[in-house]
Amino acid sequence: MPWGLHTKDTPGKGRVLVVDDEKNIRDLVRMTLTKAGYDVVEAEDGGKAAEMLRKDDNPLMVDVITCDIRMPKVNGVEAIAFFRKEFPSVPVVVITGFPETDMAVSLFKQGVVDYVAKPIQAEKLLAVVAKAMEQRIALKG
Amino acid sequence: MGGSSKIRIVVVGAGTVGSSLLELLKSERGVEVVGITDIDPQAPGFRLAQLFGIPHGTDTRKLLAQHRPDLIINATNDPAMETDLQLHKPEHAQVLGQMASRLLGGLAQHERELREHLIQTEKMATIGTLVAGISHEINNPLYIMMGFSEHVRDETRDEGIRKYADAILQAGRRIANIVRDLNIFAQQPRSETLDEVDINQRLAEAVKMARRSTIQDDVSVVAQYGSVAPIRGRPDEILQLFLNLVTNAVQAMEGRGTLTLTTQSSDGYIFATVKDTGPGIPRHHLARIFDPFFTTKEPGKGTGLGLHIVREIVRGYGGEVTVDSTLGEGAVFTVKLPADSGSPASTK
Repeated sequence: MPWGLHTKDTPGKGRVLVVDDEKNIRDLVRMTLTKAGYDVVEAEDGGKAAEMLRKDDNPLMVDVITCDIRMPKVNGVEAIAFFRKEFPSVPVVVITGFPETDMAVSLFKQGVVDYVAKPIQAEKLLAVVAKAMEQRIALKG
Repeated sequence: MGGSSKIRIVVVGAGTVGSSLLELLKSERGVEVVGITDIDPQAPGFRLAQLFGIPHGTDTRKLLAQHRPDLIINATNDPAMETDLQLHKPEHAQVLGQMASRLLGGLAQHERELREHLIQTEKMATIGTLVAGISHEINNPLYIMMGFSEHVRDETRDEGIRKYADAILQAGRRIANIVRDLNIFAQQPRSETLDEVDINQRLAEAVKMARRSTIQDDVSVVAQYGSVAPIRGRPDEILQLFLNLVTNAVQAMEGRGTLTLTTQSSDGYIFATVKDTGPGIPRHHLARIFDPFFTTKEPGKGTGLGLHIVREIVRGYGGEVTVDSTLGEGAVFTVKLPADSGSPASTK
């Protein structure tokens, strides 16, 4: 596995942290992403994700985060606020079962790349993650 | 008339004005409608009176003598009625003249519309919350169903299993469409951000999208776009509106025919028409075609919300949508939007 900072010159397409409380959904997102050439790491809630990232300042070298909104413990909105504050160079993609306009507006204001509604269409997910990965590479310079 | 006792009222005239007044007054404390009369025994107000258990009849003089009202409301158009009532009223009674009665009837009508609007708004807000919650709960497992069946379909070499997996996927798509339509139907107040919307561009985009989702492509498209100024609105909403009309038209033609689209400006309005050469719509369906959950499509093909959504969107802009159809010759839907639509309503 190509560990380390992902740039346009490194092999593979980069690493995505998938945050969702439902294992089946994490599995599906992972299957779609790995098939397209991404590395995937998973967290089952916002707290776990924060723990994984914070430990030694993003040691997993996560390039992009996909995050559900409705989750127990630390929910998506809180988690995303944390990601954006602590790791502003890691783009966030929202995955939601129900896109609410007000929430979408506030998430976009926080700099979220885009959202993907469930039931997820693989092409849409891949397009949005690719867009996020481009941002990641641009941000890292 | 005694201090705390109710004002006894007789309404003369059971047409539109009389009916509105009857409806308003019967729920008003401090008054009692003791009768309603009309020379026409079929007057619409009589059905209401029957419903409310209020005495009614065609003989005004008799009813006045029997029920001895304090106030007589002259809701007729009859110029001779005023004099007649003055002659035959109980001595103490007052007569409210035709003009005042009409004014009061108008206010009653207005009050009723406000109340209905309020009830409708509350109802939609409740439905909106409910649908949002249900959508979320459905979309999660639905994605699991659809996602895994898609993987099964793509991974297996067994033709039978591939077919079954695909059937699950298709069924999932149907559910997803229903949930999506329900959401639009029960939409919460939307964001207030408005953009310039190019009607011609939106219509063309809708045709492109509809083409992508239809398999047979023996439909020729004739587009006659006039020069129409952009309106202020929500681009997605306008796209949705045209997409629903175009999809219906294409489905009606079952993949074969001519889809004609026109736009034009006239008298401060923008007119857009979507015309198909399908079988047409039976007359008895025309009146109900915009009702929610009304559908003639076979199970799984439609939710019966498409045209209802169209009407709701168009109304939000202060416009209207109409349909015209001749059996065997197809149907034409006309959307009329104010050219300078100000701002569309934020709630439904």
